[in-house]
Amino acid sequence: MKSQVKIYLTAFKNALATRMAYRIDLFVSAFIMLVFELIIPLVTYLIYSSGAGFPGWKFHEVFLIQAVFLLSKGITFPFFAGIVWNTITQIREGTYDLLLIKPRNILFMTLLTGIDIEDLGKLLGGIAVFIFAVSQVPDPGALNWVAFILLFVCSVIVFMSFAFIMAASGFKWVGNFRVYEIFEALTSFAMYPMSIFSKGVQILITACIPLALMGFFPASLILGKPLDWLLISLVSCVFFLVFSIFFWYRMLRSYTSAGG
Amino acid sequence: MAFVTYKEWAAYRSHMLISLFVGPVQFLVQVFIWRAVYTNQTVLNGLTLEQMITYYAVVTIIHYLVMDFAAWNLHMLIRTGRFVTYMIRPLSHRFFALSQKVGHRALGFVWEFIPVYCMFFFLFQLTLIPAHAGWALCSILLGFMMHFFLNYCIGIMGFWLIRAEGVRRMIMIFSMLFEGVFIPLVFFPLAVQKVLFFLPFQFATYVPIRVFIGSYELAGMSFELPHIIAIQAAAVVVMFFVSQLLWRLGVKKFTGVGT
Amino acid sequence: MIINVENLCKTYVTYKRGHTFWETVKSIFVRKKILVKALKNISFSIEKGELLGLLGPNGAGKSTTIKILTGILFPTAGKVESYGYVPWKQRKKYVAHIGAVFGQKSQLVWDIPPLDSFYMNKAIYDIKTADYKKRLNKMVTMLEAHEIIKKPTRQLSLGERMRCEFIMAMLHNPKIVFLDEPTIGLDVIAKEQIRIFIKEMNAEGVTFILTTHDMDDVEHLARRVIVINHGQIVFDGQMNALKNYLGTKKVVRLATHEKLPVLKKRGVENIRMLSEYEAELELDLAKIELNRFIKTINEKNTIRDISIHEPPIETVIKKLYE
Repeated sequence: MKSQVKIYLTAFKNALATRMAYRIDLFVSAFIMLVFELIIPLVTYLIYSSGAGFPGWKFHEVFLIQAVFLLSKGITFPFFAGIVWNTITQIREGTYDLLLIKPRNILFMTLLTGIDIEDLGKLLGGIAVFIFAVSQVPDPGALNWVAFILLFVCSVIVFMSFAFIMAASGFKWVGNFRVYEIFEALTSFAMYPMSIFSKGVQILITACIPLALMGFFPASLILGKPLDWLLISLVSCVFFLVFSIFFWYRMLRSYTSAGG
Repeated sequence: MAFVTYKEWAAYRSHMLISLFVGPVQFLVQVFIWRAVYTNQTVLNGLTLEQMITYYAVVTIIHYLVMDFAAWNLHMLIRTGRFVTYMIRPLSHRFFALSQKVGHRALGFVWEFIPVYCMFFFLFQLTLIPAHAGWALCSILLGFMMHFFLNYCIGIMGFWLIRAEGVRRMIMIFSMLFEGVFIPLVFFPLAVQKVLFFLPFQFATYVPIRVFIGSYELAGMSFELPHIIAIQAAAVVVMFFVSQLLWRLGVKKFTGVGT
Repeated sequence: MIINVENLCKTYVTYKRGHTFWETVKSIFVRKKILVKALKNISFSIEKGELLGLLGPNGAGKSTTIKILTGILFPTAGKVESYGYVPWKQRKKYVAHIGAVFGQKSQLVWDIPPLDSFYMNKAIYDIKTADYKKRLNKMVTMLEAHEIIKKPTRQLSLGERMRCEFIMAMLHNPKIVFLDEPTIGLDVIAKEQIRIFIKEMNAEGVTFILTTHDMDDVEHLARRVIVINHGQIVFDGQMNALKNYLGTKKVVRLATHEKLPVLKKRGVENIRMLSEYEAELELDLAKIELNRFIKTINEKNTIRDISIHEPPIETVIKKLYE
């Protein structure tokens, strides 16, 4: 474990040094990453400022859902989601083999080379947006904060699972960077109050793919709103993680038994 | 030339499958959003719920007809220096890129537009028929050109911003926002709308969609369809000359440096 | 025996892409499967401290063999034991003892100095600081790489980069090192430097397996050679024996100022006239001495340019079949 941490820190330092070679572009890119993420909150704001809105939800409440989502994404993307881009590129260039000749767990090696410094912009933005959003709502009390942290961890787990599944698809689906689009499309269900969706969609985003955990449930907890379906979401969150890792190893296996 | 790109693309069957998934799913989310928003009102910024849903449906399918990678392609050509090979050909690169786009979009029409149109018809029970077919077609064609010139200009900026992939992406995001892809432009504050009216972006997507729906409105002004299409055509001509000018300046800068 | 391979087979599936318009459209819905037999029943063994050349044209099965031996690929059938491990089953433990240099795939990170990449490997292989320093120092001295390991990799020439690739691959003191086209694209001096390095390391007991289609590399380095073609071993023996197969042939490319005379004489074969002033031919040195050949040409013509090569690997294989 200790040596694992040491390796990770070295890799992080290297990734930072690599990206600092073009630092102006890095800062601009990191900023863009943030701007891109703020489009949905902006659109939501425009809806509310036209005098409309989601029934039963004030703007700052919806904004909190989106802020939790962005914070969680901000943690996942620099540290985990880079493996998607990374795997696709390395498989295409044939350099993924170089990871397989290192005496370490291959998923760990993949995470090492997938550290994405640019996306730290998402993390900084996520933190800023989250602090701002929380300052707009009443303090829920210490106990709820503890519960929130637990739910937030689940939110990160759902993001991570998505990253594993997308990266795994890269083993077979060589060169398809558009998996990110699928991810963006699916997670757009996660950025709004669950009550706006039909019953069928609500079941899908809690029991099947726990998208509701990515923003809605943690935010609802802080807001003191009802948490129907939370339990089943937590169960499916565990399943989703296990499935994603299993799927990842399955696809790796199909890569290592494919042709050379 | 258009046929070659048609063939090269047909290889990517996964590309089509992703389009068939992403477009409709994003549209579905919009349907839920706007149904919820319209529970307490019937008209919002001059649009009814039906018009709003049609708006997003048309955003989805029009995208397959007008989008292109001209900006990215040109940017890469400049960055790698390969654009020089186009300067010694009898055809201008712009013409080459345009015919490439025609090929790609013909493919998009068959493999993306038609299937998604059918999905809207059967799954969402949406019959997307333009208010005035002729005007809508004109406006979409102009949008096609506008999109191309706009992206082409963004690509040309690569002459000045060789190492700045980030800046290009930022412009792309803002151009999508100001084209009305994420939300109808009438939702912006009035002052912003007034600025947007004079920017080229609205003519690429927003105008064709409004013409499709049959009523145009922005910055508190409404136009008859023929009038707004005339303005759109004028904007396309202006953008053509702007792209010409930028190209000349860019090449001059490039050869001036002497790399 | 450090490596033992028995009846190794590898079969995989690829998809056919059509060329005509209709085939392309059809391929969107159904794709035609093609079964590729990359390796057909390969067996060989390697002793500790050997320097083995693995030869063969592109697509013969060289890379597949290397990928299986390094634990990257699963074979379809057959047994492999390398340094006491089954590579694809005990991958993590096994690869700690091997190293690899791929001529066309860099292990160095493009935008940072090689030294930083080395440091990363130190952490990954868990190399003790004292050992790391000792080995780094030794190899840097051998390859004269003191300055270049501190520059960003992107600023290095190909030869400088390859020297760093070798250091990177050998920092953890591997017992077996796989080299895949290690000298591809290098100039003569860089090639020589790397060959000397390989020889010295081999003298210290490191086993090397070298894949290449450059005959020159093999001739300078390997004592034993295995030739693979169409997934089968067509030759396994000493370098000298392979040379006997080849006889004493050289490929000569010749250009003169005046029109070339009739070249047909004893020992001159396969003449290909490129123009009236230029020709490519094979010399059998057993039948005609190089010196004498040049002399006879020079009698009537002035040589403008001449180059003498080993016959390409394809010729070697053709000979093996004869």
